Amino acid sequence: MSNAIEVKGLRKEFKSYSSRSGLKGAFRDLLTRNYKIVPAVNDISFTVKQGEMVAYIGENGAGKSTTIKMLTGILTPTSGEIVVNGMNPHREREKFTRTIGVVFGQRSQLWWDIAVQESFRLLKKVYKVSDEQYNEHMNHVIKTLDIEPLLDKPVRKLSLGQRMRCELAAALIHNPPLLFLDEPTIGLDVLVKLKIREFLKEINEKYNTTILLTTHDLGDIEALCERVVMLDSGEIIYDGELQSLKENWGEDKEVHFQFVKPVQQAELEALPLSFPVIWEYDEKNHTYLAVIKDEGDHISQLISIVVTSFPIKDVKIHETSIEEIVRNIYETGTV
Amino acid sequence: MFYIGIFFQYVSQYMKTRLEYRSDFIVEILSDLFNQTVNLVFILVVFGHTQFLNGWNRDEIIFIYGFFLIPYALFSAFFNIWDFNDRYIVKGEMDRILTRPIHSLFQVVIERMELESLFGLVTGFIIIFYAGANLGLELAWYDPILFVLFAIGGALAYASVFIVIASVGFWSDSKTSIMPMMYNIGNYGRYPVDIYNKVIRFMLTWVLPFAFVGVYPASYFLGKEEWYIFSFLTPVVGLVFFTVSVMIWNQGIKKYRGAGN
Ligand SMILES: Nc1ncnc2c1ncn2[C@@H]1O[C@H](COP(=O)(O)OP(=O)(O)O)[C@@H](O)[C@H]1O
Ligand SMILES: [Mg+2]
Repeated sequence: MSNAIEVKGLRKEFKSYSSRSGLKGAFRDLLTRNYKIVPAVNDISFTVKQGEMVAYIGENGAGKSTTIKMLTGILTPTSGEIVVNGMNPHREREKFTRTIGVVFGQRSQLWWDIAVQESFRLLKKVYKVSDEQYNEHMNHVIKTLDIEPLLDKPVRKLSLGQRMRCELAAALIHNPPLLFLDEPTIGLDVLVKLKIREFLKEINEKYNTTILLTTHDLGDIEALCERVVMLDSGEIIYDGELQSLKENWGEDKEVHFQFVKPVQQAELEALPLSFPVIWEYDEKNHTYLAVIKDEGDHISQLISIVVTSFPIKDVKIHETSIEEIVRNIYETGTV
Repeated sequence: MFYIGIFFQYVSQYMKTRLEYRSDFIVEILSDLFNQTVNLVFILVVFGHTQFLNGWNRDEIIFIYGFFLIPYALFSAFFNIWDFNDRYIVKGEMDRILTRPIHSLFQVVIERMELESLFGLVTGFIIIFYAGANLGLELAWYDPILFVLFAIGGALAYASVFIVIASVGFWSDSKTSIMPMMYNIGNYGRYPVDIYNKVIRFMLTWVLPFAFVGVYPASYFLGKEEWYIFSFLTPVVGLVFFTVSVMIWNQGIKKYRGAGN
């Protein structure tokens, strides 16, 4: 199986300017520039095989979007090698872009003022998609994403969730073998998220589409990706299975209990459990918090014994978020 | 071929959108017409009393103005990219452009075109025929062909200046007031250049080639033989400046930084 993405020593530096004012200043800026150099992506290397679904994660400002912009030919790298679909994205941009689909959650790829179907029609011409290909492929996409009723609306009148589904469909008009998704589920409600995940899984299975996505939602990753590449300050600090990442760094589960009647911490600590539990009292919310390791059926054992001992109002299980995992790794050094 | 097809796809989409907002469309055409009338009245007032200005008479000056409107209309319809920096660089719209398999400048042009500006062609021709009739100009069979070549050459010369200025945004993110200033300088092209001093004339010929939008090509039709060499250079200058401006644009694309967050 060939590689969809090969990246070696990829680096992107941004010059952060302090610009001068006025026309004269503009011309002087052209000649001598006052700037600091900030590396947004710092000599990273990785490969992605055809058909893989990879989560590209990290805190805000880690360099995820910058990497994707280099992989899609939008930005020129400062140094390093990129081969995507066998091409250099920036040098062969026009040919290259026919082989990829791109969705930026924060920015629309569609024309703002025209109806969605008009956008689709233009893109169909732009990507030279034949009527048969379009009908066979897009009818299915439109149905699965449930955007039929949105087609005659202009993009600016759509809600975020509606727009994202249309963006996704638009990125797939030419049925590209490789899909880049930069925070495709940001700000979406759970149902839309589920629909998008299901859809991505389906096209991956059907066409063996390679997908590289960035997200802050662990749910997205669990649903879609076996492999995780984690970035911090422009450097890859983890590249491997999601499972082992979670086992090593996200194993703690927090269970929040709210009781009907006041309960003493000592009473909770006295509960007969076969594994260690750390109890903490949350003054603000008047809830107790149990921290345990996520192993076997520990969570259900804990909940059942607490529930049978004291009447409760509410239980919440809090899973470690990506941000927390990243922070854990960051605080304790490399993986 | 592909580009021509895409161009017409965008034109038809443009017409559809415009017809939906019909009243805006009409207001825009009217305000264009109004602008051109004001300019013409200005010329009539200024040159009304002077019979000759550096050897140019009133009708010749009106003819030049009429000619200028033709390449200017073509320019305004397709290269009106004065808001390029804000829209495409600062707001990062260029990201979208760069993920599509069409030359980026061509995409910007067909996205930003304003076809109603083409009504300037009508005004231009009316003025040309009015002044031409007053002057008793005669047409040779090849004159229409030259007219088309000169008009396109002039439009390309005009466009190249604005493409270069737009490209500056790829290198420098400081806000500049160059764009509006250029619109003013562009207007110099509609007066005979020999009324200016040598430096300005040189500038308008070889640096900001606005003289090739109005006076130079129009001189040919007015039979001003001393300017013929410049008239016939119009398509060449248009093509050369345009090619260079596209090369500068292509270099600029490599410097595009994106909008950050
Ligand atoms: N166009 C730009 N100019 C200057 N700095 C930028 C630009 N784009 C991104 N950066 C900087 O590069 C770093 C990485 O940004 P980004 O790739 O957007 O991070 P992420 O997508 O992981 O949140 C940040 O520090 C950001 O401020
Ligand atoms: Mg980002």
